This record gives sequence, C-alpha cells and structure tokens, in this order.
Amino acid sequence: MTFGELLRANQSMVFSLAYHFLRDPGAAEEVAQDVFLRLHGKMDSLESAKHVTFWLRKVTSHRCIDYVRKRGLQSTISLEDVAEPSIPEHHGDPLLNRRLRQLIATLPEKPRMVMVLRYQEDLTPEEISDVLEMPVRTVKSHLQRSLGMLREKIDRSMGDIR
Amino acid sequence: MEDFERQLKDALSRKEPSPSFEAKVFGAIAAQQTGRIRFWRWAAALAVMLLVVAGFWMRHERQIEERAAGEAAKARLQLALRITVTELAKIQKSVRTSTEE
Repeated sequence: MTFGELLRANQSMVFSLAYHFLRDPGAAEEVAQDVFLRLHGKMDSLESAKHVTFWLRKVTSHRCIDYVRKRGLQSTISLEDVAEPSIPEHHGDPLLNRRLRQLIATLPEKPRMVMVLRYQEDLTPEEISDVLEMPVRTVKSHLQRSLGMLREKIDRSMGDIR
Repeated sequence: MEDFERQLKDALSRKEPSPSFEAKVFGAIAAQQTGRIRFWRWAAALAVMLLVVAGFWMRHERQIEERAAGEAAKARLQLALRITVTELAKIQKSVRTSTEE
C-alpha cells in the first residue's frame, strides 16, 4: 500500500482517537498530522496493513498523552463549558452522547485512552494492553473503574439508561 | 454487550477530520522534505567552508615550519662559517709564526 492509501484508510481512526481523547478538533488534527508524518518516515519498516494499524494506534495513543502532558492540559477539569465541534450525530441520543464524551474527558489520561481504545476501536483488554504497554490487569481495572464512575454520574445526571 | 456500553460505542464512534486534512499532511511532508534539503545544503556549504579554512590553516602551518627550518639551516651555516673563520685564523697565525722563525 502506498502512503496515500494508508493515509486515506486510517485518517478517520487516528483523528478520532485524538479527538475523543483531547476533545479539541484542532489539537486532534495537529496530533494526527504529526502521527502521519512519523508514519511517512517509517514506511520502510512497517510490514503489513495490520502492523500499520497497530503502530498507528500505539503512536497516536502515546502522542495524545504526551500532548496533554506537554501542554499542561487539565484532564480532570470538567469540559462542560467547551463548545461542541460541528460534527453531526448520526444515531443514538445526541444529548447522552455529548454527556458521555464530556464525562470521558474528565477521566485521567491512561483510563481515558483505555476507554477510547475499548469503545471507539472495539479492542479487547489484551489488545489495549499491547497498544498502551501496560498489564492486562491494569487495563481491566481502568475499564471497570471508569465504567462504574460513568454509570454513576450518568445515572445521577440523566437517570438510569440501562 | 449492555445498552450502556452500546451507548458508549455510539458516543465514541469514529469521526472524519476536516476535508483539508489529507492536503495538510502532504503539505507538511513536502515542507519537512524541503527543510531536510535546505539542511543538507547548509551542511554541505559548511563542510566546504571548513575544508577551505582547514586548507588555509595547513598551508599556513607548513609555511611556519618551512620558515623555522630555513632559520635553523641559516643558524647552522653561520655557526659553520664562524668555526671556519676561527680555524683559518689559527692556521694563519701558525703559518705566520713558522715564517718568522
């Protein structure tokens, strides 16, 4: 596959990982652009499309965490005041989706990335553990704790949706 | 999968970047390559400059060494001449003494 084909095939995945983690479309595009620049320089050493996807998820996740740390962005501050980007909702409850994204944005960096990889990319805890280089046990614990926290806050603010 | 998890998947569904994203990436790659070419041009110019400076410096050093060698040879020649003059004076003195006798 050429670089252009890889870019077209993966831009939505890379941008969305960064967007759901950073909650800022401009910053997400900056990170995604940087990731694809690195991919361009690594083209010779990546063997297959599967390898490229794994590499992109890994680099994007780490780059997002670094971005937040370097910019000193406060992940634990509620983002309720942040304006929503003009990305249309296709299905589901837009209000609930918005609230869920806001709550996910309040999670600490690693649990937040675990949640994004689990529910955006549909990765298993084992796959997330490979991408984020952390024990499977830790991934499962982050998932459990984050889900519990989100459920509790959603129940409190919007009623029981289960 | 529970409804809540389905709702999470829905909330975190993939989004598309702006339509100009692809062009921005290619632009950044081109800028990076131009930057790299510019860097190598500067590096090459700097290397040539360093070679020229090194050449001049080596030539200057060689000139200093040659001058020092010349000075040493001159000193040796002057010493040899002084010794010769002294020896000749001695010979002249002994010849004169033997003639007078």
